[in-house]
Amino acid sequence: MTSVPSSGLTFSADGRTTTLQMANLQIIDQPRWPAMDAETNPAFLDFRLIFTATDEPVKYENAMQQYRFEGFKARAQLEATVRVPVIDFTFKTDPLETSQCDFAVMGTEVNGRYYEASSG
Amino acid sequence: MGKSQDQISNSEFGRRRWLKLGVTSAVAAALPGTLVRAQSAPPTCAPQIPQNHEPSNGGLCPFPIPWLDKNGNHNQAAMPNVELSSIYHFRGKLARCNAFRGMGTDNKGNRLAWGTPTTDYSYMAGEYWAARQEHQAVFAHT
Repeated sequence: MTSVPSSGLTFSADGRTTTLQMANLQIIDQPRWPAMDAETNPAFLDFRLIFTATDEPVKYENAMQQYRFEGFKARAQLEATVRVPVIDFTFKTDPLETSQCDFAVMGTEVNGRYYEASSG
Repeated sequence: MGKSQDQISNSEFGRRRWLKLGVTSAVAAALPGTLVRAQSAPPTCAPQIPQNHEPSNGGLCPFPIPWLDKNGNHNQAAMPNVELSSIYHFRGKLARCNAFRGMGTDNKGNRLAWGTPTTDYSYMAGEYWAARQEHQAVFAHT
């Protein structure tokens, strides 16, 4: 998980489309993960991810685990470039429109202490 | 010669496996690249040692989901009816997606497939609770 600068996440006026975009995100290349001794290389990621909500509502709630998500099924598309300088490796995905994603949702979530407060 | 071929093969396998894992596996916050001595600098959100008898209310790091690892990703794929947030004591906007697939090209011109059922991205934008107070933030899981 990483912090996103305020400019990195934008919402359309109707709230149904969200764009998450980051550049030069420091990541690791760890091909042998999850081996305990899996070596790493520093790497960098640029990506643009677009969520578009559908009209199909969803609600996932578990009172025992104290979370509630309410929103819509969505379509998500991603394009990215990854650089691993120490091995001179770069990979660029095809344009965003060509990517496919099997599961995507967008909405609002409350959990933990906020779940309890919103359930009262 | 056989050894050399094995090395090439292993290297290529490694790159391909890396792509299959998704384009990322962890963020730099978890990277111990600066660990040149036995003790690392604490993350900026870690609890500070109070000075002059000041109170201590914990650090600013968001709480992980109690029943998941702190990365929140490698042991629970996004799907219906699971906790989709990576942080606990949170309220706000959230989107999550996984199981991407697509094609791309490396710097040697090789066409490679990317994506798996765990190629997983999300954002969480809103309020979280830490150090006994509310904070506004935007986080992404890549």
